[in-house]
Amino acid sequence: MNTLLKIEDLCAQVAGKEIIKNFNLTINEGEVHAIMGPNGAGKSTLSYVLTGKPGYEVTSGHIWFKGKDLLKMSVEERSREGLFLIMQYPVEIPGVPVTSFLKHAVNAQRQYNGEPELDTMEFIKYLREEAKKLGIDNEMLKRPVNVGFSGGEKKRLEALQMTILKPSLAILDEADSGLDIDAIKVVSNGVNALRNEHRSLLIITHYQKLLTYIKPDFVHVFADGHIVKSGDQSLSEEIEQNGYAAYTREQ
Amino acid sequence: MSELLSDIALFGENIPWLEGIRSRGRNAFVMPTAKTEAWKYTKLHVLQRDDFVYAPSKFLEELEGCAEEECDCGCEHHHENEECTCGTHCHCAHRPKLYIDLPFDAYQIHFYNGKFMPLYPALPVGVEVMTLMQAVVEGEVQNYLGKYIDLQSYPFAALNTAMLEEGLFVKIDAGISLKKPLMFIYHTQTEQHLLSNIRNIFVAGKGANISVIEYYYHIGDDKDCYFNNIVNEFYLSPQANITHYKFQNEAFKAIHIALNYARVRENAFYKSFCLQKGADLGRNETKIDLLQEQAKSQVDAAYIMNGWATIDTTTDVAHLSPQTISDQLVKGVVGGQAKGVFQGKISIVKDAQATEGHQLHRALLLSDTAEIDVKPELEIYADDVKCSHGAACGEIDQDQLFYMRSRGIPEEEAKQMLIDAYLLEVINRIDNEQIREWILSNV
Repeated sequence: MNTLLKIEDLCAQVAGKEIIKNFNLTINEGEVHAIMGPNGAGKSTLSYVLTGKPGYEVTSGHIWFKGKDLLKMSVEERSREGLFLIMQYPVEIPGVPVTSFLKHAVNAQRQYNGEPELDTMEFIKYLREEAKKLGIDNEMLKRPVNVGFSGGEKKRLEALQMTILKPSLAILDEADSGLDIDAIKVVSNGVNALRNEHRSLLIITHYQKLLTYIKPDFVHVFADGHIVKSGDQSLSEEIEQNGYAAYTREQ
Repeated sequence: MSELLSDIALFGENIPWLEGIRSRGRNAFVMPTAKTEAWKYTKLHVLQRDDFVYAPSKFLEELEGCAEEECDCGCEHHHENEECTCGTHCHCAHRPKLYIDLPFDAYQIHFYNGKFMPLYPALPVGVEVMTLMQAVVEGEVQNYLGKYIDLQSYPFAALNTAMLEEGLFVKIDAGISLKKPLMFIYHTQTEQHLLSNIRNIFVAGKGANISVIEYYYHIGDDKDCYFNNIVNEFYLSPQANITHYKFQNEAFKAIHIALNYARVRENAFYKSFCLQKGADLGRNETKIDLLQEQAKSQVDAAYIMNGWATIDTTTDVAHLSPQTISDQLVKGVVGGQAKGVFQGKISIVKDAQATEGHQLHRALLLSDTAEIDVKPELEIYADDVKCSHGAACGEIDQDQLFYMRSRGIPEEEAKQMLIDAYLLEVINRIDNEQIREWILSNV
């Protein structure tokens, strides 16, 4: 089994405050990992460090993605290499319709991979088919990205982006926040449909709920900037029962 | 500039009425200084050179004497603007083809280096186009030309008046609706510091309806330093509609100063959109008099520039009657060391009750060295009015940029998409879809 992501002794800070401390994690191809932790533990920081958001500074350690040094890549290179983040709060972009946004994204990826760009008609046909599977109608594809979308619509659009960009590693950052059960099912089905032996998932979540729809191979408890315990799905059930108190410093 | 005024020989110096107007222009013209309120943000140092030329260049003389026309297919008998069987348009051998391919149908009217090219498109009955000097001789413009523009307030209109010669008189009869826009294309191709002075007058009869497009661009070296000084006058009879689009894309060392003056009567609507993108100094100024009830105006603009350019959008909307309506949206994107200027004035006289005036200016700054100067002015003497004005300045949203990049879109491409999206709000106010697309493709 090939190693997809290897994080070694990672330390990272935001606005001078150290949030990630000596963090280690290895994800192999095809594996689904869940990182659970209390609010404010820095779970989202990890997802932004991985995707390279400005303002999140790595002070030491390494991240290897497909054997390449991830920290040397720009935000857009990381995406084109196959890293995808389903964001907790997808950003609204007034004036940029979903279709044109996705077309730019897909063509940037194709260009990076040395493939010819898709023509508009070809792309729209493909996009509509994939959108339909996620319950996204053509009208929504014409609207500006996330503007006026409900919480469920935003997450479905995230799932659609993941579907068409076909990442090697998808990070789901609190993907279920603000969603009702029906919406969680739609998003989970979308994510599950993409699971295969080469594609990996990193699910960052506070609650166990999402993990009943997307079943992880490994569950890690994140506290005080690093992983304090690892196990299988039974660990998430234990946390659901007992909470995080046993893993936080205040114990 | 003043020396130039005394040197030039103009058409019709023996027509006392015309000379009278010109001399009023000459007397009123004073170059604005840093102390001139209306010009305090827009510095005119680029005009402090004395080598501007007005007289037709040798090139133009050649042009005037040239009867040769040629076509890419080598055929013989043909006229400019008429499509040849080979599918191209014929042109004189001394200058490039004037007819330009556009994504929409229009009656194309051409100015080359500030001179009207006497190639009239076949216009429908009820629409008349003639040169300004012909209109002077025939006594058509005496009720309009120079009658209403306050030359003390508009120094470059004074200069324009002092040099009255070039330009067109356009008259649309009552009830006539022109399906295709009338498109004025200003081609500039010069190595000299050419001063072009153009005055156009548009008179729309009762219920008439036309669209006018002005397109300014240059051919050749981008560093050509020329000066286009434009004045357009629009006269709207009751129920008339004039939609005025403008795309200013002059050479980046050029100077472009324009005044658009509209007089709007009962139930008439003057609607304009201007995209300014070129010139070292570009000023598009609009003065509107809403004269009678339900007179309406909408003055929208977008500007986008880099380098060291100054682009100025100045408006003055006067509500001179009750129940008049005006609206304005201006959006700009400024990068490099460029400077955007917006001066917007709404005035409402004492008796102009039940009037509405709205104005909004927003700008996006792309660099720390870019500058925006904004001066909104409301002068309201009536008490039953709805008025609003707003101005805001911002930068590219970093979260939006990150979101786009995290989907693989390169940073520069993402920025351009955000800039387009920013300007889209105002460009979307263009009703005509084809013209809107044309403007969008030029942002």
